Amino acid sequence: MTGWWGRLLAVDLTTGTASIETLPTEFLHAYLGGRGLGVRLFRDYHHLDPFSADIPLIFAVGPLCGTAAPTAARLSVVSRSPLTGTVYDCSAGGRFAWRLKAAGFDALRIVGQSRTPVALKITPQGGELLPAENSWGKSVSATVADFADNGSVAAIGPAGENRVLYANIMMGEGNAVGRGGLGAVMGAKQLKAVMVDGDLRMEVADKPRFDQARRDIMRLFRASPVIFGELGIAEYGTPALVDLMAQRRMAPTENFRKTFFSGSDKYSGPSIRKAYQPKKDGCFGCPIQCKKSTQSGEPLPEYETVSHFGALNRVDDLHAIVRANSLCNQMGMDTISAAVTLAAWGELRGDFLSAQDIGPLLKDIAHRRGDGDALAEGSARLTEAHGQAHLSMSVKGLELPAYDPRGAYGMALAYCTSNRGGCHLRAYPISHEILRKPVATDRFSLAGKARIIKIAEDTNATIDSLVACKFSFFGASLEEYSELLSATTAIDYSPQQLKEIGERIYLTERFYNQNNGFNAADDQLPDRFFEQPGTSGGGIEVPPIDRSRFDEELSKYYRMRGLSDQGVFTDDGFLERQP
Amino acid sequence: MICQVKKYFDKLTTDGSAEPSHVAVVARDDEILSTGAEDFVSLATKILKQLNVVALVVAAPPFAFLEVLLQRMPPDSAEIIPLDTETRTFLHDIPVVRAEEFNSEDPSRLIALLGQRKGVLVEGVGIVATGTFTVEMAYINYSSVYHALYVKTLLDFLQQLAPNREELRTLTPLWNQLAANIPDRFSLAEQPLDTPDTILAAIDETGRKTVSLRLVDSFFGNISCRYDNALYISQTGASLDELAGCIDLVTDGNVSTAGITASSELVAHRAVYRQSDALTIVHGHPKLTVTLSLLCEEQGCRIEDCWKDCDRVRLLGGHPLVAGEVGAGGIARKVPPVIGRTGTAIVYGHGVFATGRSDFSDPLRTMIQLENFCRQEYLHRLNACLNSADRDFFATLIAS
Repeated sequence: MTGWWGRLLAVDLTTGTASIETLPTEFLHAYLGGRGLGVRLFRDYHHLDPFSADIPLIFAVGPLCGTAAPTAARLSVVSRSPLTGTVYDCSAGGRFAWRLKAAGFDALRIVGQSRTPVALKITPQGGELLPAENSWGKSVSATVADFADNGSVAAIGPAGENRVLYANIMMGEGNAVGRGGLGAVMGAKQLKAVMVDGDLRMEVADKPRFDQARRDIMRLFRASPVIFGELGIAEYGTPALVDLMAQRRMAPTENFRKTFFSGSDKYSGPSIRKAYQPKKDGCFGCPIQCKKSTQSGEPLPEYETVSHFGALNRVDDLHAIVRANSLCNQMGMDTISAAVTLAAWGELRGDFLSAQDIGPLLKDIAHRRGDGDALAEGSARLTEAHGQAHLSMSVKGLELPAYDPRGAYGMALAYCTSNRGGCHLRAYPISHEILRKPVATDRFSLAGKARIIKIAEDTNATIDSLVACKFSFFGASLEEYSELLSATTAIDYSPQQLKEIGERIYLTERFYNQNNGFNAADDQLPDRFFEQPGTSGGGIEVPPIDRSRFDEELSKYYRMRGLSDQGVFTDDGFLERQP
Repeated sequence: MICQVKKYFDKLTTDGSAEPSHVAVVARDDEILSTGAEDFVSLATKILKQLNVVALVVAAPPFAFLEVLLQRMPPDSAEIIPLDTETRTFLHDIPVVRAEEFNSEDPSRLIALLGQRKGVLVEGVGIVATGTFTVEMAYINYSSVYHALYVKTLLDFLQQLAPNREELRTLTPLWNQLAANIPDRFSLAEQPLDTPDTILAAIDETGRKTVSLRLVDSFFGNISCRYDNALYISQTGASLDELAGCIDLVTDGNVSTAGITASSELVAHRAVYRQSDALTIVHGHPKLTVTLSLLCEEQGCRIEDCWKDCDRVRLLGGHPLVAGEVGAGGIARKVPPVIGRTGTAIVYGHGVFATGRSDFSDPLRTMIQLENFCRQEYLHRLNACLNSADRDFFATLIAS
């Protein structure tokens, strides 16, 4: 078998034991790896409380990891989110995934709860728990330094230890397993860090075919202005989007009350370049290198982070934004949810925080001190506690990223249908509604969007299972990646088959969520977007979204998914029929 | 969505890439939406129900050139690999379904191939192309496959085997089309390109004109105009006949990145402006120019990957011809150094960059004249490949 080792490392923190299990080949072929494999392995546990001892935290790499496939040195981490209550996965790069594959494992499943803080060391021979009392309470970078001798490190910071509901697991290189609070799940297990080392080499079955597919992908990357263009993400990182979102009048501002912020040029891609002369950085082996860092190696913020600590909180101080980003990274905390929660707090108080006040409050959140304790619960719980639930700009409790739904109606729909809550990456309609890839669609129209979102969700579930970076698909498509996969595994996968796998993964997640009480009532945007206009100007009108038309498209979406009007399965036996 | 179905059906029946009576466009919203030839709609509907895509185009190109192409292929050929840039970059290859493999009641073989590639050539039907996300995407993929196969067929006549008498007769409408010139007397609004409004209007008008003259297919190409310390350029993936609202302003020095959606050839346009006194650039993919650009007669050349490795500057119609891949690193490096010679440069297997110093009329006229030259040159070269009896026969076909 090539592409997979067929091995899972099972770790029980309660008993302090680790063992190697064989993964059923059927699972690997039907779910690929990453998100899909993690979701399948989560089947028997999906009803458990996120902080229960028995709930697993699953790390899974994909069949392309360890090969020269572009952007595939990634993994997904799967569990249940304490923030949203949904099944949760997050894809992350760095070096950890590549090392895990090189240690001879496709997946790592961690259950149980340690009595004292521990760190997990992984080698090709298995797992070993090391004491971590001395690291407990430390920042992410200090923790990484403590354990760096053992290979690549994934660690939590104080936010994870204190169960901040949007705590991250941070890779040693600064990449985040973000958004849904899996860092808090790790913290509840008293697991401070995971280290992995190995040098096993995964071969591909058909090297000439693999090399041809790789060349085809690189050619498409070079033909994509978003990737390798002079103004693209390889040059400016994702902050290249700041100017575009301002021009399109869809930059969420003042807790989504407005959609244009006149100070956004202060933290645009060119402004960051001018202020920091950043160097190119990125995930292991990635040709794009979209991450930017300071000359001393400090990761600089992504688009969502600069925009949300900027416009959303009415801050135009680039250095304050960069400090907020660094603080979140050190505390191990999601920048989007943190910034949206701060903005909701600002609207609740009737005044947004000053740039200087943000840093101290972020630290208080991570340590659950003072007002920070309530903010650590996320915007939905915070605003509900104040009787102002409508001020939380979230779906299923997950705070919305920096694409105002009034400026992209497919994005509006996709926020609602996402299985993990208000996320831009599940269907990623910004790709076609704004960036014109693979083809442009009318951002102010809902026509046809239900079908597009459904197909994109299936496609992206596959991408998250390969595991590849979604930025690759600003140039390439499943056509080329299916070639890489077929060449790697010697199993012929077509793009159509891959989308069918993605559909299985998506529906499985939705079924888990339904079992945990989710239905159409949870697939809703905040009322603000249907009642208040955005900030029109520059020849662009930004009206509120037409609710009846939106609901009509959402109903279509349910029909296309084979769900009832209430967004639920009509067939209780769905899961039993899946591999 | 039905508006999109009708829009692209109208495009296909008027842009010359399909026989108007043999076109169907079918899309799937929460129900099937369709228009066009009944048998094609029926086929497309069966396919669409089994593929995770939004739309399909089924159409037969004009001139029966696909039939000729298929007859020339070995019966066991599973795919065609044309040499043009569209194929190299986006299509990779074009699978073929032979008549004996095809059953319109059970098109499972076709469905399997459409699950792998953007378009498939089906003997006895034509081209079937998918649109994963939109109807437009199916139209674009159809256009790309059509363009690639058209170029390949014409090139094969010169490079592989000259057409026999029956093939010559079958393709009479094609020869007559090539024998006729695209009119190079046209009118564009005459106004100085010195304000954003006049520039935007001129780019839009020029794009529509290139398509209405049938110089290019609507999807292919990009247009720009220099303005102060910036340039206006059509966006990536924008149809040349629908550029209104799809033009980016890109400033020198990259003080803004709002132009991230600009054409993938932005780098080349910028470099041309830096190295010349051009005010405007029109880039398109006229089919005969593309065909002849692929006709390299270099003897003893050892280069295998011409797009990437050929640094030679050849001439076509008196203009420099270079090789280079799309986007970063290829065309942008090769075109600017040579375009100053005549104000025009041709890219191997790809198309033409033509510049103007004061308006869009000059570059548009240059492209037309070059394409007309290539049409005549092609017919001349084809004629030279024929035996004397077929030459006379060919002459009568064109005269008729």
